[in-house]
Amino acid sequence: MFWKSRASRMRDLNAEMQTHLEMAVRDRIARGESPEEAAGNARRTFGDQTTVRESTSDMWSGDWPHQVAQEFKQAARSLARVPVFSLAAVLTLALGIGANTAIFSVINGVVLRPLPFAKPDQLVYITSQFPKMNLDHFPLDPAEFIELRERNHSFKEVGAYVVGAVNVGADESPRRVTAAVASASLFAAMGVPPVAGRTFHEDETLPNGPAVAVISRDLWQTAFGGRSIVGQQIQVDGVARTVIGVMPSGFDVHDEGVQLWTPLVLDPANRNQFRGAHYLTLVGRLKDGVAPERARSDLETMLAQWNVLDGGNGKPPSECCGNGYVHTPHPVEHRLRYDNLQGDIVGGIGRTLWLLQAAVGFVLLIACANLANLLLIRAEGRHKELALRAALGAGRGRLIRQFIAESLVLSIVGAAAGIALAKVGLKVFIAAGSSSIPRAGAVGIDGRVLAFTLIVAIGTGVLFGLAPALHLSLGNLGLTLREAGSRTTAVGARSRMRNALVVGEMALAVTLVIGAGLLIKSFSNLMSVDAGFDRSRLTTFSLALPPRVYRDSVRRVAFYDNVLRELAAVPGVRSTAAMSGLPPQRSINANDTDIDGYVPGPGDQKQPNIDYYQYATPNYFTTMRIPIVAGRGFGPQDGPLSNPVALINETLAKRYYGSVSPVGRRIRPGGDSVWFTVIGVAKDVKQAGVNSNTGTELYLDYEQLPRDYGYAPPAMYVVMRADLDKATLAPSIRKVVSGLDASLPIVQLRSMDEVFGDSVSQPHFIAQLLAVFALVALVLSAVGTYGVVAYSITERVREIGIRMALGASAERVLGMVLRQGLALGVAGVLIGVAGAALITRLMGTMLFGVKPIDVGTFTAVAAMMLVVACAAAYVPARRATRVDPLTALRAE
Amino acid sequence: MIKRNEKPPLARIELLQGTLDLIVLQTLRWGPRHGYGLVQMIDATTRGVLQVDAGAIYPALHRLERQKLIKAEWTVSENKQRVRIYRLTAPGRTRLAAERSRWEQMSTAIAELFVPPTDAEEV
Repeated sequence: MFWKSRASRMRDLNAEMQTHLEMAVRDRIARGESPEEAAGNARRTFGDQTTVRESTSDMWSGDWPHQVAQEFKQAARSLARVPVFSLAAVLTLALGIGANTAIFSVINGVVLRPLPFAKPDQLVYITSQFPKMNLDHFPLDPAEFIELRERNHSFKEVGAYVVGAVNVGADESPRRVTAAVASASLFAAMGVPPVAGRTFHEDETLPNGPAVAVISRDLWQTAFGGRSIVGQQIQVDGVARTVIGVMPSGFDVHDEGVQLWTPLVLDPANRNQFRGAHYLTLVGRLKDGVAPERARSDLETMLAQWNVLDGGNGKPPSECCGNGYVHTPHPVEHRLRYDNLQGDIVGGIGRTLWLLQAAVGFVLLIACANLANLLLIRAEGRHKELALRAALGAGRGRLIRQFIAESLVLSIVGAAAGIALAKVGLKVFIAAGSSSIPRAGAVGIDGRVLAFTLIVAIGTGVLFGLAPALHLSLGNLGLTLREAGSRTTAVGARSRMRNALVVGEMALAVTLVIGAGLLIKSFSNLMSVDAGFDRSRLTTFSLALPPRVYRDSVRRVAFYDNVLRELAAVPGVRSTAAMSGLPPQRSINANDTDIDGYVPGPGDQKQPNIDYYQYATPNYFTTMRIPIVAGRGFGPQDGPLSNPVALINETLAKRYYGSVSPVGRRIRPGGDSVWFTVIGVAKDVKQAGVNSNTGTELYLDYEQLPRDYGYAPPAMYVVMRADLDKATLAPSIRKVVSGLDASLPIVQLRSMDEVFGDSVSQPHFIAQLLAVFALVALVLSAVGTYGVVAYSITERVREIGIRMALGASAERVLGMVLRQGLALGVAGVLIGVAGAALITRLMGTMLFGVKPIDVGTFTAVAAMMLVVACAAAYVPARRATRVDPLTALRAE
Repeated sequence: MIKRNEKPPLARIELLQGTLDLIVLQTLRWGPRHGYGLVQMIDATTRGVLQVDAGAIYPALHRLERQKLIKAEWTVSENKQRVRIYRLTAPGRTRLAAERSRWEQMSTAIAELFVPPTDAEEV
């Protein structure tokens, strides 16, 4: 049969019906009826023409778009007749699908969507490793950068940069801006051209080059109002720099939010003077056709020869040389590592996000189970309608199609509402998570997210629409017809199905709540970690003196001395101090250090490397209330004129002094300054985050640095212990600082509690999200239990009536119904606990101080879910006790 | 749908589902017919016991056509009218044979029910 259009088929059918009528009329006239009578009778005998047309056209194949449309139209009409049911279903679905859409948008934006650069897979993030010192992802030194660029055969271009912060702008409104010092090659490696002007030329990165800067489009808009900027001079850390170019929005190497780039000044001819100063991060752009594996084998070849090429003897660093040893990369002791740039940015968050996706998937499954039950109950109420339709010739396939069409209408409308919800949710998500989730700015709803939502919606619709469809096949249609007349049989299979759905959703909810419970416990463990100091009533902020203005270390020390003295005079301020690194989470500041009397073991580095140098003013320990466990802290007797002194932390003391007391021993920071005398051991203070082991830490007196160390850092944190809170202190702080130097912006003004909060913002955020999902799951499963128990009571109203007529007390009926709810709860909890035991293992690194199978959490959640199940059953149970036996019996 | 005739209750015959297909196929065995002709012929051959109305015959014809059991074509009748006639196809004949033997088995089986068992007395 050739495919014909619906219209032409319809023309044929009309003609066919017309002929039929004409022939009938003619025959009737021949039998002696009058023409009028004949016409009327023929039409009457024929039946309603529209009905004939519709039921005939239903038979046409090759016309499925129309049939599908009909199916959906009918489904929509049928749903519109039950607005409360439809609204509840759509809302539930909107919540479930919306949450899935939102989380998938995040995964899409963070993990799946490629970086917004040309051929992003060619971008390699290059860092170094010192396996013996547990340094992974460590920066490279400038010599290594220059040599890698010269010697590799894999990269089209290699760029280097280091991120810091600068003060930008004029005297009145200085602005703290994230900035990078970058090689000219960085822009070429990333393959992003500027939107205006140009980027650096190679000769601008040589010593004594011009003072230039490239700024981001965002900075151009916010700080300079978008006025013509290329060729203009701006103030950067007190130096006038000419803006030569503007980079487009989104140009960001490693999600650092850099807004300004200045040239990385290096002299390749003089590279050895930079050796050992590891501060550069590299990005390489692979040549076309070079796979990452080939680049890595090229790297192995380079590592093997590096030392020799630099005139070394090929021996590993630990076996060679004493002080002044020239670091070079080595296949074992100082490796370079290549990582896919995007993979490195996303890091461990991918796994976490997929876990969240699984969690919202659970929420949606629970919602599906509820809807399936609702539809089942609705289908029970529609026996008569269904039986009638079956009797009128609608096949089972047709009826199943209609159920699926109804659930699809619900899920697609739900998905549309869900997308709107997700949009709102994502706004909140980005606002709350931008500090803890990389690439949060790239999160949004795009085609892929919409496709995902559509698939989820269809999958959901089929899933919960199948329940009543299956129910149709459980009881055959003949049975359905009989039941429509009298409701003597509560078909066991169907109530089993409803119960199974509730048990399933309870189990999912239990798993989810246990997961959330573990995360919440982890977070509370994180928050109660002893960071080594008393964080109450501490306020902190940071200042960065422009190094070119405050060239002299003595001037820097004098400035901070003034700031601290004036702040200490503010009423309510008890104590002030300044330090270079802010606990509990700071970037590593590791330096090779001579420790007098330390004998390295076999294979140990001759010159120990200390993880954190902390330059602090004498009041640091008293202000932070860091206990001194041996010797003494910095005191009034120490100062710029007295002997050079240092403190170490417990970890350093244990590692390098063992059982010997370090007090009175000598230590030489950087390996080439004067010897400092250790005067005390301070309790360990967290430096790499509250969830990490404390590294070794060396404290030097900031005031002694200019004389004894030759360098005092210009950027410091100020910490104040005060009876006043941050907001009250802020005006005084501003007044003091601007009184000393109006061009200095005050940044990161926070209470120490906020600092702690920020350091655990990601686990906090994830725990909060999962807690919300778990709560939704809990509520949905409680509603589901309630619905099924309540429905079973309407089914059993006659039985209950009989029991009460036979003398059953209200308590007995109450107990009977509660037992039903409890039985569902127990089954759900058992399955859920077993499922959680399997799943929580995947949470591994997200947990802190709590085992994946934490008996306390598991027991508490199990108990809570049983209470919820009983509570959900209690409401209908109370109603059951009020059944009037007479009414119940008469109703049948 | 099969409609009962306006005859006394005893003459009513309720048809099982699928029987209409058998009736249509069987009637077309005697030669191609158009829809109206089929209705007339069924009426005549069953002496008015089975009256098939248009609302039932056309869906059945179009369904059988889709299943390729019958074939339709437009021709001109003896009254010079354009009519759509249906004829049996080879698969249609096969199906008819199968349906017919099924029907015969069933009617035999039902007939057996009315024969009293030899070793039982009728109450």
